[in-house]
Amino acid sequence: MKRVGLAVLLLLGMLAMAEGKLKAGWIYVGPIGDYGWTHAHDVGRKEAEKAFPWLKTLYVESVPEGQVGSYIDQMVRQGVRVIFATSFGYMDGVLEAAKRYPNVIFAHATGFKRAPNVATYMADFYQVYYLNGLMAGALTKSGKVGYVGAFPIPEVKRHINAFTLGVRAVNPKAKVLVRWIYEWYNPAAAKEATEALIAEGADVFAFTEDSPTVVQVAAEKHLPSFSHYSPMLKFAPDYVVSGQLVHWGAIYKDFLAKVYAGLYTPKNLKDVDYWWLLPQKAVELGADYGVPVNPKFIPALKAKKIHHPVFGEISVYDLVMKLKAMMSDVELAFDPFQGPIKDRKGHLRVPAGVRLTQAQLESMEWAVEGVTGPWPNEPK
Amino acid sequence: MRLVPREQPGPAFVLAVSALAVLLAFAASLVLLALYGASPVEALRVVYQGVLADPRGFAEVLRRAVPLTLAGAGLALAFRAQFWNIGAEGQLLLGAVAASGVALFGPGEGITKLFLMGLAAFVAGGLWAALPAYLKGRLSVNDVITTLMLNYVAIYLVEWLIHGPWKGRSVFGFAYTDRFPASAWLPTWPGTALAWPGVLLAVAFAVFFAWLLFATRLGFEIRVVGENPEAARYAGIRALSTLFWVALLSGGVAGLAGFVEVAGTHHRLLAPLQISLGYGYTAIIVAWLGRNHPLTTLLTGLLIGFVFAAGDVAKVALATPFQLVQVVNGLILFFLIAAEVPIRYRIVWGSDRG
Repeated sequence: MKRVGLAVLLLLGMLAMAEGKLKAGWIYVGPIGDYGWTHAHDVGRKEAEKAFPWLKTLYVESVPEGQVGSYIDQMVRQGVRVIFATSFGYMDGVLEAAKRYPNVIFAHATGFKRAPNVATYMADFYQVYYLNGLMAGALTKSGKVGYVGAFPIPEVKRHINAFTLGVRAVNPKAKVLVRWIYEWYNPAAAKEATEALIAEGADVFAFTEDSPTVVQVAAEKHLPSFSHYSPMLKFAPDYVVSGQLVHWGAIYKDFLAKVYAGLYTPKNLKDVDYWWLLPQKAVELGADYGVPVNPKFIPALKAKKIHHPVFGEISVYDLVMKLKAMMSDVELAFDPFQGPIKDRKGHLRVPAGVRLTQAQLESMEWAVEGVTGPWPNEPK
Repeated sequence: MRLVPREQPGPAFVLAVSALAVLLAFAASLVLLALYGASPVEALRVVYQGVLADPRGFAEVLRRAVPLTLAGAGLALAFRAQFWNIGAEGQLLLGAVAASGVALFGPGEGITKLFLMGLAAFVAGGLWAALPAYLKGRLSVNDVITTLMLNYVAIYLVEWLIHGPWKGRSVFGFAYTDRFPASAWLPTWPGTALAWPGVLLAVAFAVFFAWLLFATRLGFEIRVVGENPEAARYAGIRALSTLFWVALLSGGVAGLAGFVEVAGTHHRLLAPLQISLGYGYTAIIVAWLGRNHPLTTLLTGLLIGFVFAAGDVAKVALATPFQLVQVVNGLILFFLIAAEVPIRYRIVWGSDRG
């Protein structure tokens, strides 16, 4: 009897401890087993749970955008106090739920609407894309770089523009040929688009799609490519040059630590917007963690010398490393979108000496010079 | 052991065997959950607390049951006439398109606007079903194939609209339309996400279809055309016009389901998979489980709605994989098909010579 009593006490104690934990919930738009967006957020969630003993996490995968409200209800009922909603399409559902639950903290990825208890966050790649563009410009022989894009939304357009600026900084006559597949995940369409770009003469590839398809199709033709979102070096170790990697965990840890410390409350998030880049280590250059450039391509990149307006005669490899260091510094001594930059219709979009603001970057619809192919919603 | 055909199984017997099949499907689902590492007891507790004991949770059951019952009641009607409509999903999407068109660009305010949206959705869904019905009646084109294929046409129509001409100006380049004006939103039951007019529509149409089927001349014709086409021709029933009305009504209610989804939940037209969660396909199970009786689809719609809502709860509370709902629905269908054997046959032990 005594032993049972002890066990009950112990159990109650454990329950109490569990109660004392901060419960955070993640709502994912895709399956956690995808090879991109949702997987990367889930890695970040696990990282946060591992880092903080006071944190307990919950998640729910493949939540359709229109149904987010009812999943938020479920989470709140489970005692969740911080909810991360990881798709743009959840925006209106999150704001409605935030009114319903004024004491719950919400953070919405990629959105632009905030409230006293709704913050927004984004880990953006545009700096990394510029660095990849420099390397692509050095490696193309045909002067045509292929890009398979998911949706023609400002985020993807911004990345293609940054990439193209990089390509043209090394190879001013090169073009970036763009194809859209209108899906975040569609290996069949990505394959088709890559093959079409190869037929058009493209010989280096970058993309926005949540599978390693472009890397694999390019490698079959012995062509180099840049991986996207997750480490893809292992899919074509001889052909993946570099790429972009995300660390959502950096944002999740910072945010949750500030909630736990009482800095973030359901009353003061109106102006909390994470726009995290290289300096905050939310993104990384490379096709695998800790490998900014595939060693197999370093000799070729070192051999390619250009005349740079600031650094003079410099190899592309050194240029990539220098600019990476500059963009990783909070001072941001360099930014890809520093004027003068013209769009491909000839309008001056960024005057000399000016940099685009975050709001301008987030709503970018125009295409830089050198981008060829369809560009829906292109301003006149 | 051998199987001997039964004479006319009674309704109580059919109900008992079907209920047993559903219970077995739930039991098999719990076994699967246990294999996955979640305790079945905990699962039952979570589902009870989150769905049955909670008004908001129960509202979620109804929210899922509305499109399932609407489309399911229509399919019951269609299947009675042996019009094998596998296209409720596409008809639902067409309804969503028509309703969105009226909401965004059409006339009307308040209740008039909602009425016009519903009417447009009904007509669009109905005509989308009438096309394969015409092909079947006139040219004997296989309706399973045509109704199914038209689902894909409907999907691409929605995709084209949201990427092209109807893409919203306030959506940052994403593929949605703009939000509907507030006058085009269905009211929700306070404290829930349930667009309650949808419940009224579902009940009204299930009752109306039952009345139509069993108390009117058209209903009689539908049943004769379905059960004995030869007799129908002999009796002078014009199969083509019967088929047309069946298709119009069956597709029409699926279209209404699309209207309820966009006007009640989404308030905009968005990607096809986000609009419907496969309600049009799942409605086939609803109709079938209801033995193609429009009134029974009220019950079976609720049951499948419960599976959806319980799946949502389990996903959050037990971190089950997202495919769980489809697996449970698949198991229900599997056990129901298996139940056809004991319903239609008696098992006799011993050799057939004995």
